[in-house]
Amino acid sequence: MWLSKTRFAVLSFAHIHAWSYARVLRELPETELVAIYDDSSERLRRAGETYGVKKLYTDFEKLLQVEEIDAVVIASENSKHHALALAAAEAGKHMIVEKPIATTLRDADEMVLKAERKGVKLQVAFVMRYHDSAVKARETILSGALGRVIAITATNHGKYPDLWFGDPVLAGGGAIMDHTVHVADLTRWYTGDEFSRVFCRVGRNIRRELKVEDNAILMCETRKGVKVSIDCSWSRPDTYPVWGDVYMGVFGEKGYLVLDAFKSNVSLVESGSPMTYQYYGPDADRNMILDFVNVIRTDGVPRASGHDGRQALEVALAAYESYRSGKPVSLPIRY
Amino acid sequence: MGNGKIGVCLVGCGFIGSTHAERWRQIPEARLVACVDLEKERAKFFEETYGFQECGEELDRFLSLDTVDVVDVCTPTYTHKDIVLKCLEQGKHVIVEKPISLKLSDAREMIRRAADSRLKLMVAHVLRFWGEYVLAKRLITEDAIGEPSVARAYRQSAFPSWAWENWHDYLNKGGGVFVDMSIHDVDFLRWSMGEIEEVYAQGGTYVRRNASSHDYTHALLKFKNGAIAYVEGSWIMPEDYPFTTFLEVAGTRGILQVDNQSTATVSLHRRGRVERFTPFEKDGYYLELQAFVQSVLNDTPPPVSGEEGLRSLEVVLAALKSVLTGEPVKLPLEADVVE
Repeated sequence: MWLSKTRFAVLSFAHIHAWSYARVLRELPETELVAIYDDSSERLRRAGETYGVKKLYTDFEKLLQVEEIDAVVIASENSKHHALALAAAEAGKHMIVEKPIATTLRDADEMVLKAERKGVKLQVAFVMRYHDSAVKARETILSGALGRVIAITATNHGKYPDLWFGDPVLAGGGAIMDHTVHVADLTRWYTGDEFSRVFCRVGRNIRRELKVEDNAILMCETRKGVKVSIDCSWSRPDTYPVWGDVYMGVFGEKGYLVLDAFKSNVSLVESGSPMTYQYYGPDADRNMILDFVNVIRTDGVPRASGHDGRQALEVALAAYESYRSGKPVSLPIRY
Repeated sequence: MGNGKIGVCLVGCGFIGSTHAERWRQIPEARLVACVDLEKERAKFFEETYGFQECGEELDRFLSLDTVDVVDVCTPTYTHKDIVLKCLEQGKHVIVEKPISLKLSDAREMIRRAADSRLKLMVAHVLRFWGEYVLAKRLITEDAIGEPSVARAYRQSAFPSWAWENWHDYLNKGGGVFVDMSIHDVDFLRWSMGEIEEVYAQGGTYVRRNASSHDYTHALLKFKNGAIAYVEGSWIMPEDYPFTTFLEVAGTRGILQVDNQSTATVSLHRRGRVERFTPFEKDGYYLELQAFVQSVLNDTPPPVSGEEGLRSLEVVLAALKSVLTGEPVKLPLEADVVE
């Protein structure tokens, strides 16, 4: 069966991941990148040039009126996801939303509801669900190889991403908002369980000049009693050989599994520079977008849905609440 | 201390006892006078293997010997207090295995009695002599990574089922994985990052179903200076899992990381198992015992005092309390946790 390409627009290149998604949209035979919106005209021009896209907009409403666009990728600053997602749904466009889905539960719920009402697919860019190693880990856990899962030690370390990530309004927070959700989502995906309790402490900032927290540790429990720790710190210095990690140590009654998803690297030392790790592992972004195209074409259900995005956001928000109050916080939390 | 040598009596001929006995034998200033164990055969085995002059089941008999200057207490934790007090009463210096005890009140009494009788009391927190930890501490102290903000430490092994009468199964004998094993990491973090003001921990009894102690615990420590740390202690690893440690400290100017598996210099692969070693002629155990000997010979304070052992104990007991109550626990503790 011959199918025409699925036509995408990227709504904002504010998030660094947008550049990788755009690359994939150009590379895949199934997709086409036809238009770009950005509220920064400089970034808009740069993205347009990089990917050879002619239809460039600084007004997203205008872009969304373009009929040939089937779907959008929303990769703006976190707090702007909401407005873009509502408008995209209103215009009948399917969407991939960068994580975290939003910065408040109210925003997230509105986005999920609106997409449902308008009959468009909303997939959250939990790319780890599309990383082959993370998939293999899940299959192994679900096969029963570990027995009952007892505890999970998770880390999503990184460097400081800079840009607007240090802006508490645009980002909705710091390292907790940025780096809790991937591993919180994997935990939910691996255990089929929901978080029930979160305790969080923030260390004194590594980068004293930042207005947001750049390190934190969460101690969580799921409804079935799995003990989960999450280290979401931007604790890697600029000169660290790799951007960070996604690590899950899963303790079961019968076995122990470690996922260290970005370990597939060639160590490279260029004269005069510190060592860097050159990644050669699976292309999770590509897998995710390809799967999304399939979801659209088959009227399927996204592997990482808006609801999944909302549930992971709740963990991050509970962490902030616990950090402020100094006490463990029970989930679900109120708006 | 005849001939400038120190007469050593070792109590507790088990796992850590043999580890120490091996090193005692290498220390030129030490004379291996006696080894003691409740089980005669074990004491006899130690006497023959390590060359102790005498062995027996009765500690009292050896404590009355003038040739014994120091006692190395390698018995299960719950027996430390009685044995240590007895040694101090008989005028012997003491090095006691970690944790110093299971009760803060007991630890305080041991410290007081040692001070009153002007005898050395050292707690065997061996990480303070352990290659990678010594270097990590030095790097932190020398400001290589700036001020520490967030640290991680893991210590993982299968359950120590070789221990005498499975005493690690009992909360009131060994205290569980965090009290017994993670106290290493807690002590190291206190030593290199400062004092701790709050502990939150989760855990339970998972593989040793009938045990009263916990076999998995992870904790979040908050330091007075604003830093935080994650510490994980696991005895729920599969059998034959290599004993694994990991340390990471991130600070304002950098990060340091080390683990004992990827840095091992000798790997032994056999059917169904891998073992990794990083041998030193003078390893952490040797340096620890040697440091104790020097403090006795030179009459200087031991490098790990009873107070240090007490403070580390307080943190792991706070973790235990947090697991039991589900709430964060502030230090200092107001009461003992283990009865």
